[in-house]
Formats: sequence, structure tokens, C-alpha cells
Amino acid sequence: MKWLLKIIDAVRPTFEEGGKLRLLNPVFGALEHFFFAPSARTIGAPHVRDPLDLKRVMSMVIISVVPCVLAAFYFFGLRFLAMIIVSYAAGLTVEAIFAMIRKEGINEGFFVTGILFPLIVPPNLPLWMLALGVAFGVFIGKELFGGTGRNIFNPALVGRCFLSLAYPKTMAASWVEPSHELIGGLLTWVTPSLDAVSGATPLALAKQGEMGSIAHMLLGSVSGSAGETSAILIILGGVFLLFTRVASWRTVVSMLGSFVILTGALIAGGAVVYPIPGLFGPVMWHLFAGGLLFGAFYMATDPVTGPTTNAGKWFYGIIIGSTTVLIRNFTGYVEGVTFAILLGNIVAPILDEIVIGIRLRRLKNEG
Amino acid sequence: MPEPKVLYLPLRSERFTFTDIRVKNGQKVTGGDVLASDPDNYAVPLLAPRTGTVHLKAVEGHIVLQDIAQLEERAHIAEKEMSHVKRKMGAAGIKRYKLLSLGAWQFFYDAFTGALPDPLGTPQAVIVSTLSLEPFLARGDVQLHKRLLNLTRGLEHLQSLLEYQPIYLVMPNISSEFANLIRNQIRGYASVKMLEIPMKYPYDHFEILARRLNLKRGGGPVWGVRTEGVLAVDRALTLTKPCTVRIVSIGGMGVNMPTHMKVMPGYPIQKIKDKYVFEPAARVINGGILTGKILPVETLGVDTECRGITILREQEDREFLGFIRPGWGRHCYADCYLSSLRKKFSEQLNTGIRGELRPCISCNYCEEVCPAGIMPYLIHKYLYADLIEEAEQARVDLCIECGLCSYVCPSKIDLRKQLIDAKDLIAKEKEEIRQEQLRQEEARKQQEEARKQSEEKTE
Repeated sequence: MKWLLKIIDAVRPTFEEGGKLRLLNPVFGALEHFFFAPSARTIGAPHVRDPLDLKRVMSMVIISVVPCVLAAFYFFGLRFLAMIIVSYAAGLTVEAIFAMIRKEGINEGFFVTGILFPLIVPPNLPLWMLALGVAFGVFIGKELFGGTGRNIFNPALVGRCFLSLAYPKTMAASWVEPSHELIGGLLTWVTPSLDAVSGATPLALAKQGEMGSIAHMLLGSVSGSAGETSAILIILGGVFLLFTRVASWRTVVSMLGSFVILTGALIAGGAVVYPIPGLFGPVMWHLFAGGLLFGAFYMATDPVTGPTTNAGKWFYGIIIGSTTVLIRNFTGYVEGVTFAILLGNIVAPILDEIVIGIRLRRLKNEG
Repeated sequence: MPEPKVLYLPLRSERFTFTDIRVKNGQKVTGGDVLASDPDNYAVPLLAPRTGTVHLKAVEGHIVLQDIAQLEERAHIAEKEMSHVKRKMGAAGIKRYKLLSLGAWQFFYDAFTGALPDPLGTPQAVIVSTLSLEPFLARGDVQLHKRLLNLTRGLEHLQSLLEYQPIYLVMPNISSEFANLIRNQIRGYASVKMLEIPMKYPYDHFEILARRLNLKRGGGPVWGVRTEGVLAVDRALTLTKPCTVRIVSIGGMGVNMPTHMKVMPGYPIQKIKDKYVFEPAARVINGGILTGKILPVETLGVDTECRGITILREQEDREFLGFIRPGWGRHCYADCYLSSLRKKFSEQLNTGIRGELRPCISCNYCEEVCPAGIMPYLIHKYLYADLIEEAEQARVDLCIECGLCSYVCPSKIDLRKQLIDAKDLIAKEKEEIRQEQLRQEEARKQQEEARKQSEEKTE
């Protein structure tokens, strides 16, 4: 790959200070460092560094969603490819503009947002809405706060939240029934939606009293957001993330654990004392329904918007898990994970503040 | 190692700066003579390791000894000197005087500050570490097995400096046969307590050990000394001979044959390079890879505090699509490479930063690895916002500068340097406040005196 490096070295002056295209320097830098690792050396102790960098962290997340992406192709057709392209194009534009204004490099964080966003929206969403959502999420959710590492809210969820509040009807009409053929949707552009009812998600159907089967939800042959339907594949990718320690197991365990316990307790309480209105579905069914697993593994574990301290992560997960139960069962919304995680994002700095306060008080008398 | 013909003794080492030159140009010295001393550190001496002729101005920042010969060293301290010391400090002072003037004292560290402790002071405890866990540095227990007798005798000598204060002997396994052997040897002669620590960097750091033993800063100084220091104590007090030879490790990825060797201060680094380093473009580090300093080209000889020389390859190639490679041969703190499926292996390390500088993403790795129990990311964020006082409250002073936080940071933030800078800044501010208070005190006293005088006058 020497020739590529030569080309890069040759065109570099055009993008540097005084060159014609110096405004595009962040874009050039991102491309250069995408292909070739930087040549920087340590200047003092420690003289060696861990090989892990943010590019690797982010590519780990992308690798872990590959099963979900493939499933989205299989169940909902090749239109999903267009969604990924549009999502990256729209988001990268916003990201690049801000990088140029700030004269900083383009951060890798976006590559994760760009792939996660199409996975959490309905598969038949108009492409212009997808672009709008991603641009909104990156702009309001991240760049206004100062870019990667400084944002309070998960950008992908901000985008989704915006879409579901601004265009609730279009969002609801964009659900489609997944392909039930053996070859799946791989030969079609988009699996046709026969009527509005057949595209309704399991949670929406359940609120009307029609429970889907757990087996279908495990495999993913149900209606839902493009990448959230197959519980098995999400767990597969999620466990990979936990194994690589990119995602914190504490958040996942406490979120899913509190969700299961609270749902179980409500059901048990309802059975013993008196039926709780609005409550529906068994525990395991809830666990696999909707965006809970995807949110737990990919959204709540975002290190930037979650708490930093390990103790904080436990409470963070519990807050998200229990809020999800409450929203799902006792409000007009069928799905609560988005709101629950955004709420958790708000609480995260406070949790950190408390935990750090306690730790500092303990450190006071050390040494 | 072959005997060198010329020794280049650097006037600077990690803790000491030998500014007080005691010899003249062209003077002939014998092994054990004081060449220079550091007035800021209890006049700790720079001893001549061999007999030779002094050249002061030959190389900047060095004392050069030429015509080296290994003759009989100065075997004892002159009678006259001894009686003088005895009169001044009493019989107990003689031992301490010997330790200082024979070069054994420079093996001692204050556990909390890392500085040279006061040779006349009394510590609240002594920590003897047989381990040196930083990668590529000389392991203390290597020397231990061979010289067990010297060690136990050294411990007894140490005990005689103390009143009732305990000596803690730090070992990797206190129930091993070897530990029992030591126990049997020292039974009764010294009150030595054993402390077991894991073989994991940086658990051998004296401050970490002191904190583990629940010793507080306010309770007085804690002396930290490694195996070689105890052996030096034995040599100085049993044989009354100067301690100038050190065991230094030659290691790292750029070395063809890693080894431990006995060298004296001033040993020409070029000779070591010729023999061991096969890569001309390698980085030469004085110390280990995590805390060592780059050895400047101007330094020609091994300094008096050198514990190891580490050779590390400089990063040269730019890796193509490095971030998606499987990484079978990379060590990573998080298990993000295929190498996490492998058993123990050694990686070809180099000096590359291996990534781009990015903002902190709060991954919490630095806190997980921090042996001092502080939160490097938090202090980093405070410093970013110029909140020095908050950084002080977050106990940046507990940082032991082990370098693990900088090592693991995926955003490639140099946390170690930032924490050290913050510590220095806080120490400077405190010193300024102290000076200011002293000045005010002085002014107040003067005023009072003036008032008294004027009162007397009026009377």
C-alpha cells in the first residue's frame, strides 16, 4: 500500500495551512488516518501505549451490529442499504461541517451513530425523514454540546425521539411485516406492506390484546425497527461487546435485571392482590419485545452519555430498566426504551456526582 | 562486563544534583573517595568507583575519571574523622554517618515523597521490598537467592538503627520455602514482618505499600528500600566499604540479549550500546518503559541511581488499516483484539502512540487500573476546566506516577504528565502560601519589636 501513502503525502500540502483546500483539512485527515495509523511517537513516560484507540473501539461496535444489519437485509429487503448510505451521508455532512468550524479532526463516534440510527427506525421510513433525524440527532444531540465526548444525550436516540414526536403518523405507518419467505427480502427492494394492521409491532398488537409468539420475536420474523427484531442476533452482538469490554456489563445486567424483576413483581403482585390495569404480557415476552435488548446492549452502554463510575452504572441501569417498565405498561406509548434511556442520560451526571462525592470523602483521609 | 578505561560520572541523577565538587582537576583519587556531593540532599556523596585521575571540564555535566585501575578501595573511614563524628553525634550516629558517606544511603527512599529521607531521622516504619515489578527492570529477588546471608545481616543492621519501629519485608509469596528460610535466619535478631503482594506492577511502589500497611503521612517518614539497598547497608556497616557497584538491567525490545549486569556509576553507555543494542534507531531509556526517562545523547555514563536501561524500537511504519486488523500479536487492556484468546506471549513493543488524540470518552479504564485509587479522568476534566482546587480535593497528590492511566487511555490522553504537572503546580502554590505566611509572620514580629522599642523609649 506504499502507493496510497505516496499519494496522500503528495496531496497533503493542499490541505494544510496556506493550501487551497485547507478548509477541508479535517476531511482529509480523517481519510488519511482511516487508511494509515498516525506515525506519532510518545515523548516521555510511559514510552509504550496500549494498542486500543477510539477507531478500534468504534469498529468493535460496528462489528457487533453486523448480525443485526444482515438480519435487516433479510427481513426487510435491500432498501436498508439505502438507509445506511443516507444516514452516513447526512450525519457525516453535519459532523464534517462542525469539524471544519472547530478545526478539529472528524471523530470516529459518528460511524457508530450512523449505523445504529437506521437500525432503530421503522424499515419503511421515508429517506428524507431518516436524513433529517440523523442530522438533527448529530446536530442537537452532539455537536451543540461540543462533539464527541462532551454530549449529554445519545445522538441516535435524540434523532429517533425527534422523529417519533414530530412525525408520529408517518412513523407508525412505516412499520412493515417482515418477509416470511425462505430467501427473505434479499431479492426485493422492500417487503410490501399489505395493510396498516399487519405491520403493527408486537408491543402495539399486545396493547390491543393480541400477543405474538416468543419464538418469532427470538428469530426476528416480527414487525419492528429494522435492526431490533431478532433477539438472538442482538444478544449475540451484545455479548461480543461485553466480551471485548467496550460495553459495560454492569449497565446491561442492571438494566435488564431491574426490568425483569420489576415486571415479574408487578405481574406477581397483580395475580395475588388485584389485577393491575394496563399490565400485559409475561416477563420473557417483554424482554424480547421491542427495543429493550437493543437499547440495553447498544444505547445504554454508550460510555459518553452514561455515568463513568462503576457504582453509577448500576443505578443508571436500574433507572432505565424500571422506567421502561412503567412507560410500557402504564402510559399511552407502546415503547418506552428510547425515553427511558434519554431520561437515564439526564440522570447520569447526577449519579456520577453522588458517587464521586462519596469516593472523594473516602479519599480525604487516605495516605 | 569488561573493565572500562574511562568513567563518565554524570552530575545529575533522578533525585540528586551534585553541585558541590570536592576534587581538583588532575587530582588522583582512590575508589571510595568523595568526588562531589549534593548540598540539597543531606550532602549525599558521589563516590569514585575506582582509582583514577579526575578531569572536571572534559565533558559538560560529568566528572571524567581516566586511567582507571581496580586497586584496593578505601577500606575504612579515617580514625580522626570517626572520633569527630562520635563526638558530634554519639555512637549511634556513626552508623548513619557510615551509610551516608559510603554511598548506601542513596538506596533509601521516602515512601510518600520518593525523596531521600533524612539520614538522622527516625522513621515510623521501614519497608524492604524484594521486588521490582516494572517491566524490564532488575528484579530484586534475583539477587536475593544468592546473597541471603548478606540480606539478613543487612536487616539486622537496619534494625539497630531503629528503636521499636517495625521492618516490613515485602515478598511475592510469604509461605514459600524461601520465605521460611529468611524467617529462620533472622529469628530474634530483627523484628521483621512479612507482607505478601501480588507480582503485578506497580504493587511494589513504596507509597502503595505504605498505604496498604495503613501508615499515615502524619505519622512521620516511612523509609523504603529495595534488596540492593539492604545489601549495601550490609556492605557499608559490616565491611565498611563503599557501595558503588549497582545491578542494572539491560532489557527491552531493541536488545538482542537481555541481561542483568553489575556496573559502576560512570560506566560508558556507548560500551553497553555496542555490546547489546542492535538497533541504531532505538530509544535508550533510563529506567523502565512506564516511568523511565529518555537518556539524552549528552549523557555518556550510567548515573548513580540507574536501575536499568531499556531499549525500545522507535515507531516507524504507518500501519495500513490498523484498526480493523485482527491483532493476534497485541497486548490490549480491553479484549478488543484476537490476542485475548491467546495464552501468555510477548509483544514487540515500540514507541508509537498508536492512535489519535481524542477527547475523553469516560470509558473508566484509567480508574480501573489506577493503583492509588484516584480518578484520573476526573482530575483530567478538572484540569481541562482550570479547576486546580477541585483537582487537589480529588487527591491528585496520591498519584504515584506509575503511568498506567496514560498507557490504557484509548483517547491517548497523556494523563500521567497532566497529573504530575498538577501536582507540581499545587506544591508550588502551597510553597508560595507558606512563604507568604512566613513573610507576614516576620513583618508582624518586626512591628511588635518596633512597638516595644518605642514603648520603652516613651517610658
